[in-house]
Amino acid sequence: MTASRLLLLSGLLILFALPPQWYPQAARVQLSQWFGAAAFRPLPASVDYASAEAEVFCPPDLSGWRNERVIEGLTLPAVAGCVPDNPWSVATAIRGSNNVSADTLSKSGFTSDAVTKGRDLDGDGDPDEIHIRLEVVELNGASAEQPAPVTEYSLAPGIKPGLWVFAPKLAGMATENFESNLARPNLRLPSPTLRVEQGDRVYITLENTHYMPHTLHLHGADHGFVDSTGEGNDGVPITSEMPVMPGGARRYELTPRSSGTMFYHCHVQPHVHVMMGLQGLFIIEENRPDNWLQTINIGAGSVRHPSVAVRENYQQEYDLHYLDLDRELSAEIQRNNDPRLITRAMHREYDITDASSDYFVLNGRSFPYTFRESLIVTEPGQRTKLRVVNGGAKGIALHTHGHKFTVTHKDGSRVPEAARFPQDVVWLGTSQRADLELSSVNDGVSSYGAGIWPYHDHQYQGVTTDGIGPGGNISAIVYRDYLDDAGWPKTLGTSYTPYFTEEFYRKEIPVWEAYAPGQFSDPGSDWRLVLRIALLALGLGLAVAAVLPRRR
Amino acid sequence: MKPKRLLALFWTLFLAHGSLAQEHDHHAHHNMSVSDSGMVMYENKTTLPRGCDQISEDIELTIHAGAKYAENTPGMTFGMSQHEVRAPGCSRLTITFINEDQVRHQWMVHGLPKYLYSAGMFHLEAMAGRQVTGTFIVPPDDRTYLVHCDMAQHMEKGMKGQLVIGRGSGNLWSVRGVSDAFNRAPYLPDTTWPLAALALLLVAGVVTRLRR
Ligand SMILES: [Cu+2]
Ligand SMILES: [Cu+2]
Repeated sequence: MTASRLLLLSGLLILFALPPQWYPQAARVQLSQWFGAAAFRPLPASVDYASAEAEVFCPPDLSGWRNERVIEGLTLPAVAGCVPDNPWSVATAIRGSNNVSADTLSKSGFTSDAVTKGRDLDGDGDPDEIHIRLEVVELNGASAEQPAPVTEYSLAPGIKPGLWVFAPKLAGMATENFESNLARPNLRLPSPTLRVEQGDRVYITLENTHYMPHTLHLHGADHGFVDSTGEGNDGVPITSEMPVMPGGARRYELTPRSSGTMFYHCHVQPHVHVMMGLQGLFIIEENRPDNWLQTINIGAGSVRHPSVAVRENYQQEYDLHYLDLDRELSAEIQRNNDPRLITRAMHREYDITDASSDYFVLNGRSFPYTFRESLIVTEPGQRTKLRVVNGGAKGIALHTHGHKFTVTHKDGSRVPEAARFPQDVVWLGTSQRADLELSSVNDGVSSYGAGIWPYHDHQYQGVTTDGIGPGGNISAIVYRDYLDDAGWPKTLGTSYTPYFTEEFYRKEIPVWEAYAPGQFSDPGSDWRLVLRIALLALGLGLAVAAVLPRRR
Repeated sequence: MKPKRLLALFWTLFLAHGSLAQEHDHHAHHNMSVSDSGMVMYENKTTLPRGCDQISEDIELTIHAGAKYAENTPGMTFGMSQHEVRAPGCSRLTITFINEDQVRHQWMVHGLPKYLYSAGMFHLEAMAGRQVTGTFIVPPDDRTYLVHCDMAQHMEKGMKGQLVIGRGSGNLWSVRGVSDAFNRAPYLPDTTWPLAALALLLVAGVVTRLRR
């Protein structure tokens, strides 16, 4: 075939294949005037989404941990929410791991020296010598062999960023059992809330079970710059002491004279270590007689055994620990196994000044897991104390639906009565704390009545998980009438099904697919256009062949 | 061998008698002794495994653990004084595990028969600066068992070993002094790729010239 014929053929093919919607606007108008509108052709149908397998919303309480329990002479009230703390861990945290039976200790998971309680120094019926031991645990870290992370912990379905936490000292393995990759239930984010009494002689030993240096800094709590032996006690590597090296330990001590909601965190490369999760609430309760405190509140959240002073004014108490996490930072411990490479990646290559936060957690979980553990369950006429810390890099604008709360304390200091007012948003900058009084008296200000009232960070990234909503730190204040027997809220809205799938948070499911299938789904493809483009390519190919010089 | 098959090999060595559903509560165990020094779990001094007529040999071993035992191994944080233990089938091993660190460590054997060791393991845990001693009897077959510390990241950062019974059943990966790291980082100098590209161009140029 001659070149000119080939060119002609290709020209015709191109003209035929060129989709009319690509013609110049003027040409389209002219053609419409001559031939009228093209025939109706339906838009591509929506893609069918097979419904993904959802997790169980509220796992059944097989071991009866939610029931009222009498352990070690302590009556622990029933838990209304879905997933409670291990009651033996709670009882041991109150009595001391040195004071409970072998059976209680074994069920608690603690070692015998995890939280020991000694003499009653002021003779008021409770122990005043408290020794807490903390280890450093990596969750979702690299494996030397398998692709999945080890000591696995999920913030939300399928969300497993690398994390570091201070953990109470637990006997035995880090995983549930040998065949499991999952972290045992007491190993989790956030680092536990620690509770001591004003005037207690408190020792905290940091046992560095991790592969990097760490320290402990008691932010806001009354502690000496040096301890009783003259060693540094502030946890700051530059000014106070050498960091605790892997395999090493250091005992910090304090006898706090003032009470309040404080904070503790690692102070080695804090922009990295604190943001990896090495931070927790540190609460100093007012001194009262017979004040047996729940020294360790694993996973923060509901305080099953509030202090005497708190019980004077409140029916219940919750610890709320807010944190945001950067996916890029978290991933650094999952890429390599060599601590030298991890150290370089985290502390030199990672640049927090260019960072953004992706995960927003309340008590170590994001929605919908927050509904399992961090619902505030109340009933009309109750007063609830909330101790809130924002440990994240971003501020939080904590907002309650259906309620106005009062800030009674800021950073552990009492707010004078005259300065208090009902508010529904409180701003907490990084590391700030607030004690909130939440009243469920239906008076048109404190509460607008019974219901399921969300509470969340009102900054909009905070209610997402890596940009997918609903996620982030959303939880709810739920009145008992709106809670079913299993502890799950009797909500009136959409199904939870999509939110309990990994696919939803992997951005694979259209957000409204569960209740409007197809309507806002992804459209299918226009195969006719695909065919035209294929022909167009053929035509252009022929044209190029016609123009190129022939081989001799 | 393809990576997938390698992994399969690893898992067969690793998870021997695995059954996920069987145990949920690792802490509801029998045969545990706890002291201030630590704990010994699933100890067995007397019951012979199936296929053993008698104890073939009594072996006593002392194994030290701590960050100190990683000092001369680049890229490792924790270690043990020995990462491989060899013993004949049907032997009785008495291990004294000495922890020289100020934190907990463990010495655990996995994949033992569950009719004898209910979780398939033998477990020693020594508290900081303490030692514990425990005894167990191994089955007759030639097999390689995983030994490790199950504290988070301790196996990954150096505390992985193997117990070789008889001729064993091949080496596990990432056992210090025995086998290579399964996921080995590349450790390349920064100039590697530019130099490789340069070499490629050079070779291509020279060969083209020679062929003319
Ligand atoms: Cu640190
Ligand atoms: Cu270890």
